[in-house]
Amino acid sequence: MIFSLLIPLILQNNANAKIYIDIDSPSFQQFPIAICDFNNISNDAAQTSDLGIVLADEIKFYLSMTGIFNILNKKSFLEKIEAGNAEAIEKIYFPDWVLIGADYLVRGNITQEGKQIIADCRLFDVTRSERLMSKKYNFIDSSKKEVAKNIASDILLTLTGDEGDFHTKIAFVSKKRSVSDVHIIDYDGSNQKKITSHQSLIMSPRWSPNGKLLAFTSFKDGSPKVFIRNMETGIERKVTFFDGLNLCGSFSPDGKKLLLTLSKEGLENIYYLDIETLKLKRLTHNYSIDVSPTWSPDGTKIAFVSNRSGSPQIYVMDANGNNVRRITFEGNYNTSPSWSPRGNRIAYEGSIYGKYQIFSVDHEGNNLLQLTFDNADNESPSWSPSGRQIVYSSRSATRNRLCIMNANGLNMRILHEAMNPSVMPVWSPRFKQ
Amino acid sequence: MKEKITLTLILFVIALGLALFSGCAEKKAVVSEGTTQEQAPTPAAKEAAPQEEVTLQDINFDFDKSNIRPDARVIMKANADMLLKNKNYNIIIEGHCDERGTAEYNMALGERRAQEAKKYFINLGVDASRMKTISYGEERPLDPGSNEDAWAKNRRAHFVIIE
Repeated sequence: MIFSLLIPLILQNNANAKIYIDIDSPSFQQFPIAICDFNNISNDAAQTSDLGIVLADEIKFYLSMTGIFNILNKKSFLEKIEAGNAEAIEKIYFPDWVLIGADYLVRGNITQEGKQIIADCRLFDVTRSERLMSKKYNFIDSSKKEVAKNIASDILLTLTGDEGDFHTKIAFVSKKRSVSDVHIIDYDGSNQKKITSHQSLIMSPRWSPNGKLLAFTSFKDGSPKVFIRNMETGIERKVTFFDGLNLCGSFSPDGKKLLLTLSKEGLENIYYLDIETLKLKRLTHNYSIDVSPTWSPDGTKIAFVSNRSGSPQIYVMDANGNNVRRITFEGNYNTSPSWSPRGNRIAYEGSIYGKYQIFSVDHEGNNLLQLTFDNADNESPSWSPSGRQIVYSSRSATRNRLCIMNANGLNMRILHEAMNPSVMPVWSPRFKQ
Repeated sequence: MKEKITLTLILFVIALGLALFSGCAEKKAVVSEGTTQEQAPTPAAKEAAPQEEVTLQDINFDFDKSNIRPDARVIMKANADMLLKNKNYNIIIEGHCDERGTAEYNMALGERRAQEAKKYFINLGVDASRMKTISYGEERPLDPGSNEDAWAKNRRAHFVIIE
């Protein structure tokens, strides 16, 4: 209902499909951006004088969350905007912005009539003295956080060609003594909710590609079974309940299949389940433990963990189970693969110097990168839909955190910190606005 | 399991008594190891009068391994003898891991430990239909400590006697 108020009035995008920032290049550095307080040009400006500042601060908050911007301090700004002057938004002396090191500049006007607020937002390329984006947002005061999120998302889309991860959630397992439940939390760390109450052990939550279903393993009935929960209705369906282990894997990109680890034939091997017909197909036939399968974004390959070489390592196979090849060779304990939605990299956790750290490697086993280095156990990486960020759990003797970092390991921020261990975070797809 | 439904009430009471007994033995073991860790609820623990003692001893494993160690073979032989003497009882074999490593992989490793113990019992003549396996991974440690002693205790197969 709030979202209907956020329909943009005008969309002028001078940038066409050009991508201004290639944040995937190895030489990527954070981009300096200046965000001015929005100029209140209402007739009765006194009433809403803070709104322009609050809105700019919220946009900064969300843009800083992407890890790709260096938000310049407004105290360094040389050019002042004439308060209340609607034309000032486009009157820019670019050399003043070049001088303070800004590559990009955001300015906006606010007009308020009764409860209706319109934010007119502009984005400029400072070095080219060029306007990249001009867009109006119609909203009410109570939804200014949401509108700031949308503005940040549009700025990111204009500059990088991708809207970012603002409209996503992270599901995770919160453990309280011997009971664990699935919780979800927004990308900005707000709005944490407990969504299961099994009074039991729950693990391995996995989102369906459209975000409407969440599969997980629960010991609700006394032993591990796989459940699929409809996130809209809250109805849970038990989908596998074989003897022994029923451990949740991941959904196929088309949402029709769910990968699993089952031990019904005496060996922990990988299967997939057709969600509609509940038909099973066995994919691995090895004597080893095969576990934690994750689909490639194009659906043609599956990465998983196997101890067939004597220790747990990451392997990739074709989606029909053929052509298995090992991709990790460093260290003797590599687990929890997560396939990047942007293609060829796989994040995982590996044991090094007695701690677990996050690594990524391409799907052929090349270009290995260690992403975390701190004195904690960093586990269970999961990629954001943009493929530019990774959420993971970070635990030490003194603290339990969920953290988000850029895909290159930089710009870590704490998503969630609590007394109880928070583990197995999984990033949702984007939710439609 | 299905034929058990037809058991008489008397048999049921005896079974419950045995179940309690195994529960007591389990608690004793925990206390003697100097911990206060609460055990995971098992399907067996209920109140009843104690009967003849039928207990099965845990076996331990090496880190990231599921093979039955030489020291465990002796225990498994004694456990199997106990099961062969008391054919009325079925067991649930619980596989457990220490806290190190990945929870998901450990869930599979715990299952493999339980499966290996089951196979070992089958080779010693115990009927496969009397045994079920369950993995608790690293989620139900016997000793909550984070040291080699605790880890060694926690890497185990535990045998729960039912009916």
